[in-house]
Amino acid sequence: MKAVGARVPRYDGVAHATGRTEFVDDVRIPGTLWVKAFRSPVHSATMTNLDTSRAAAMKGVHVITWEDVPLLEYGHLSALGIPADEPLLAKDEVRYLGQPIAIVAAPSEEAAMAAVAAITADFQERPALFDVRKAFDADAPVIHQEGNWYTHFENEMDRRQIRKGNIDEAFDKADLIVQGVYRPAAIEHAPIETQVCQVVPEANGRLTIYSCTQALYFSMGVVAAHLQLPLNKLKVVGGTVGGGFGGKVDTATETMCALLAQKSGKPVKWRWTREEEFLCSSTRAPWHMEVADAVTKDGWILGRKMLTLHDSGAYSRFSPYGLTKHSFHHTGAYSIPNLEFNGYVVYTNRTPTTAMRGFGVTSVSFATETHMSRIALELGIDPFELRLKNANRIGDTSPNQIAYTDPSTVPTILAIADAVGHDLTSEYAGMTPAQRSGDLLPEHLVGQLGNPEAH
Amino acid sequence: MNLTINGVETPIESGPLTSLLDVLREELGITSPKAGCEQGGCGACTVLVDGEPRRSCLTPAASVDGAAITTVEGLGTPENLSPVQQAFTHHYAAQCGFCTSGMMMASQAYIDGGGTDDREAIQHALGGHVCRCTGYVKIIDAVAAVVRGESFDPNVTAAGTAMTNLGGMA
Ligand code: FES
Ligand code: FES
Repeated sequence: MKAVGARVPRYDGVAHATGRTEFVDDVRIPGTLWVKAFRSPVHSATMTNLDTSRAAAMKGVHVITWEDVPLLEYGHLSALGIPADEPLLAKDEVRYLGQPIAIVAAPSEEAAMAAVAAITADFQERPALFDVRKAFDADAPVIHQEGNWYTHFENEMDRRQIRKGNIDEAFDKADLIVQGVYRPAAIEHAPIETQVCQVVPEANGRLTIYSCTQALYFSMGVVAAHLQLPLNKLKVVGGTVGGGFGGKVDTATETMCALLAQKSGKPVKWRWTREEEFLCSSTRAPWHMEVADAVTKDGWILGRKMLTLHDSGAYSRFSPYGLTKHSFHHTGAYSIPNLEFNGYVVYTNRTPTTAMRGFGVTSVSFATETHMSRIALELGIDPFELRLKNANRIGDTSPNQIAYTDPSTVPTILAIADAVGHDLTSEYAGMTPAQRSGDLLPEHLVGQLGNPEAH
Repeated sequence: MNLTINGVETPIESGPLTSLLDVLREELGITSPKAGCEQGGCGACTVLVDGEPRRSCLTPAASVDGAAITTVEGLGTPENLSPVQQAFTHHYAAQCGFCTSGMMMASQAYIDGGGTDDREAIQHALGGHVCRCTGYVKIIDAVAAVVRGESFDPNVTAAGTAMTNLGGMA
C-alpha cells in the first residue's frame, strides 16, 4: 500500500512526454490499405439497389457489404443472452444518419474516398423519430419490427420495473406531491484520438488487431462472433487509448477492418475523421425522467414514482444494461421506502447511444439531486438538512433490496457543507451513518430496514 | 524539398501540397504529432516551424520548404528529459497523452518567447489546444513551473503542488 496517499510517477508519463507512446495510429506497417465507409445519407429509409460493383472494379480496391459478414447481427450483450438488433452493415433498412453500409480498403486515402464515391444505393426515405416522448404514439414512425422500445428484459418484459413497499399508501399519506421532469441531453465523448484500428493478416492464419478499445475482451468476442472464428485466431493488441470516456466500449471499427484484412490479404487501417467521430460515433444517451415524490411537511420522502425514457438511438447496444443500473440508483443517495419505477429503452433514429462515465447513473443523479433541492425549496427546508435526514444509513435498503453496509451519503454531505461554509444545526452537524433510531427512524422507514450482515 | 527536422537535414519526397503532418508521420515515421482533427481545430499536430508553433495538418509541405522543424522527438529523450518534458511528467499534465505533443510544443514556443508564469497568459498561449482528459489546470501548472525554473526527477519526485483542482484555475 505504499502508493496510497503518495504521488506516484505515472507508468506511462515519460513515454507520453517524449512522444514515444505508441497509439494505434502510430503503429507502422508497410503496405497498409486505407479504409473508408459508405454511410447512410438519411436518418431512416428502406434501402434498395446497393451497387458496389464500380468501386470493386477499381484498382487495388476491396469492398465489404452485409453479404460478406458470416454472422451479421451480434451485440455486446449477446453473450449474456440479450438478443442483438444491429447488423454490422446495413442490409435493407437504415435507421440512422451515418450508419455504415459498405466498407472499402484501397491503397491510399484518396483512392478509398474515390471508391466510396462510386458506391450507389436507393433510399426510400421515411419520417424519422427523434423525440422519445412521441415513440409511444399510435402514429409514430416505427423504428424496428418489434416496435419502438426494447422488449427483452427478464421474462420478456418491455421495461425495467421496480416495485417496493406500498406506493399508493405513501401517496395517500403525503402532505405534498413534488413533481419534476429532467432531460439531460446527448453528449459526444469527443476523444482527441478518433476511432482507429489496424488489422494485419498474419502468415499463420491469425489476425492481429491493433485496437483503441476500452473493452478488449468484449471487442475480441464480438469480432470472433461476427467472423465466426475461434478466439485463438485473433490477437488483439490494446491498452493504449487516446481518450475514450465510454465511447470506445463499442466495437466500432475492429470487425469491419478484420473482414477487409481477410478479404484483401493485406494490412488495413481505419482512422475516423473528426467529422465521422461527431456524426457517426455513439454518444451519451439523452434521457427523459419524470419524478413525483410523496413528501411530508417536515421533510420525509414517503414514496417515489418515476418514469424514465432512455433514448437508445437506433439500436439497443448497451442501453438495457445502462437502464438497469439507472433503475437501481433511482432514489439517489437517499432512502425512500415506497417505489414505483418504470424505465424504457426507447428507439429513435438518432445515432446509437452508449456508455459514458457513470453510465446510466449520472443522469439519475442529476435528476434526483435537482429534485431534492426542489423539494427543499417547496417545503422551505434547508437543502442540506433535507438530504441528511433522508440519507442512506447502515441497514437501509436500496431500491433493489440490498442492505447498505457502508453508505457514504452522510459524510459526503457534511464535507460539502463544510467546503462551502454552510452552517448546520448541531443535530445535523454531528451526524454519522449509524443505523436509524429515535427521530431518524419514523414509522415509514421501519419496514424497509435490512440486515447489513447479510452480504 | 528539404526540411531540417530536429537538427537533421532531410530531403522530402511527398508532393508539395502534402500536409506537413503527413510528411512527418507517413513519409518519415515521426509519430509524436497526432492527427486529432486534420482541420486545425485541436492542436494535437502542432510542431515548431522556425521556432513558431504551427498546426502541421494545415501546413502544406511546400510552404515550409527549407524550414527548421522541431517535434517532441527534438526536445529530449527518456534519459535526458527537457524541462518541459520533466514538468509535464511531474505535474501529471498528460493523462491519455494524445494532446500532449502539441501542448508541449506550444508550451516550448511560449517559454522560448519569454512567456511568464502568469496563468492567464499561459492559458492564452495554449488557446485552441484541446485536451479532453487531463483538464487544463495541471498543464498550466507544468508550464508555469518551467518558467519559474523548477526542475524535477520524474522517477523519484513525490512532492509538488496540491493535487486538488479546487480553486486551481485563475
Ligand atoms: S490535427 Fe491539426 S489541429 Fe487537429
Ligand atoms: S491527455 Fe488525453 S487529450 Fe489531453
